[in-house]
Amino acid sequence: MRKKLIGSLLCLVLLLALVGGAQGAAKYRIYLITMDQMDQHWVNVDAGARKAVKELGNVNYRWLAPDVKDDAKQIECINNAIAGGADAILLAANGPTAVTSALREATAAGVKIIYVDSPADYPGEQTLATDNEAAGYKAGQELKKALVSKGITSGKLGIVNVNAATASVVQRENGFRAAFEGTSFTILETQYSEGDAARSKDIAANYITQGVVGIFGANEGCTVGTGNAIKEAGGKVIGIGFDKSNTILQLIKEGHLLATMAQNPDVMGYKGVKAAVAVLEGKDPGPEYVDTGVSVLTKDTL
Amino acid sequence: MGNEKKQSKLKRIVAKRGMGQVITVTFGLVGLIIVFSFLNPFFLTSRNISNLLRQIAPTLLTGIGQSFVLITGNIDLSIGSVVGMSCMISATLMTKGVVPWVAVLITYLASLLMGLLNGKLISKAKLPAFIATLGTMTIARGIAQIVNNNYNTDSIGEAAEGFQQFFYYGKTLGLYNTIWITLVIWLIFNFLLSRTRTGRHLYAVGSNLHAAHLSGVNISSTITKAYLVSAFCATTVGLITTATSGMGTMDAGNGYELYAVAASVIGGVSTLGGQGILLGTVVGASIWGVLQNGLQFAGAPVAIRNIVIGIIVIITVLMDIFVRSNKRIGKAKTSADGNSSPALKHKL
Repeated sequence: MRKKLIGSLLCLVLLLALVGGAQGAAKYRIYLITMDQMDQHWVNVDAGARKAVKELGNVNYRWLAPDVKDDAKQIECINNAIAGGADAILLAANGPTAVTSALREATAAGVKIIYVDSPADYPGEQTLATDNEAAGYKAGQELKKALVSKGITSGKLGIVNVNAATASVVQRENGFRAAFEGTSFTILETQYSEGDAARSKDIAANYITQGVVGIFGANEGCTVGTGNAIKEAGGKVIGIGFDKSNTILQLIKEGHLLATMAQNPDVMGYKGVKAAVAVLEGKDPGPEYVDTGVSVLTKDTL
Repeated sequence: MGNEKKQSKLKRIVAKRGMGQVITVTFGLVGLIIVFSFLNPFFLTSRNISNLLRQIAPTLLTGIGQSFVLITGNIDLSIGSVVGMSCMISATLMTKGVVPWVAVLITYLASLLMGLLNGKLISKAKLPAFIATLGTMTIARGIAQIVNNNYNTDSIGEAAEGFQQFFYYGKTLGLYNTIWITLVIWLIFNFLLSRTRTGRHLYAVGSNLHAAHLSGVNISSTITKAYLVSAFCATTVGLITTATSGMGTMDAGNGYELYAVAASVIGGVSTLGGQGILLGTVVGASIWGVLQNGLQFAGAPVAIRNIVIGIIVIITVLMDIFVRSNKRIGKAKTSADGNSSPALKHKL
């Protein structure tokens, strides 16, 4: 009896999945594949893409993403998109190499690739991204400026990063480090929190105990953790971060963070969909690389 | 003869449900602390010690829950997701203007339901614990994602200042509240486990399910109680996480269930059930926390830290297996009325 019940339940679930998959038949089928679905950053890319889809009116759009940042899971998403009849994929690649063979299969199936946020080492039609290294460099410059204006010209700095495998955050870190080359600041061993705000806070608190003068958070979670640690410890440690969220903005307003590098994820999504449709219609999507830029948000600019 | 009796009494205390391993790993912990304090002058500053204690708290709390479940011979994989779920439920409610204490209450209720579900799936529906909690692990993570429509929440705001103070930022008598909360929960559950009938039932179920059943232990309610304790501890960690970040993150608590297993196992709780004490979990969680904190100060790359921690987990369990097999041989010896055979002696 129990087996029958479970069996029929399973059938029902499968049926629902089929019905869900079979709706709509617009002209172009475009999938957005991000690193995960949680960061507000990706939500904003999705929002930008939706805006473009609404304007165009001839796109069947769907957002696919793994539950956590994971190469294998992202490859599955790409395979699912191909199987789901994608005409184009907007991809924020987890890392430069892991997804390339999946992308090769995609192009073999005639799918056009547009990169948003993070490109892979595989030719795409266009890349719309923040120049992460330049943005990280900018963050470093801002921090250096703030330290020097306080009369601090040497000391230790900490970096709270997501992990060592995600290209965009690694480039930010490289840019940040480059900004301090040739100065008498020393940058401590980078610590990774997987973007978890609570773990980032612990890491930043440990940095403060070690006597750092400044901390860089490489994404939203890392920045929130950094801000919270500085808020608690008080004192003169200067924190600078990346990405924009309500919590980060509040930490800046309260003076616990110096600034954050706000990207323009909505622009990536919006222009990405437009570029994809241009390619599919046989038109020129424009330059191969479009820097969507960052704006430095400080207490004064908010 | 009298001397022998005394000795066996001492032996009994040492052998009491894994006390032996607790003593061994305590030496390990002290060793680690000494090494790190030499490696880094910041390690033993009062500020780092209070930070460190607070960093240990989440691992210890989830470890207490996991220990309860492991002692019954089961496992709880849903702990990390319940942390995430409670973080998101409490934060979402607070951003919607619910009074923090009401939000806390609702969060506990929701998570305890998850614990109840775990317990009933395993004890009534006879699902293997690994499968049942694997299921509830993904369900709870899904709930964490759905409560705020797949968004991390905004800041929980100034109305929740008291909440943040209570669970994380505030201090009482010079110690962070997080540490006090953990201490109180530990004391209560340690009492429950070591001094009450429920505690004895938990060990009985884990040592020999059949025998426990025959001697009239209510298996279902005992296992369910263990999962309720686990859910309660995980929820508390979720609330601490919300208080720490001042927002809800959907991936909060990712992997915590395994840290909890590590803390328990390092402290001498057996994954086979019936063995272990909560004092061991304290030492296990402390080793975990000290390594995380100390290796950051030592400037060790994270990869090295992961390798070191993995090796420590394996070594402690190996040690446990080694000690136990020796003990079994020792028992065989006494049952042979002191006529120790040279072959056994050789093995020892």
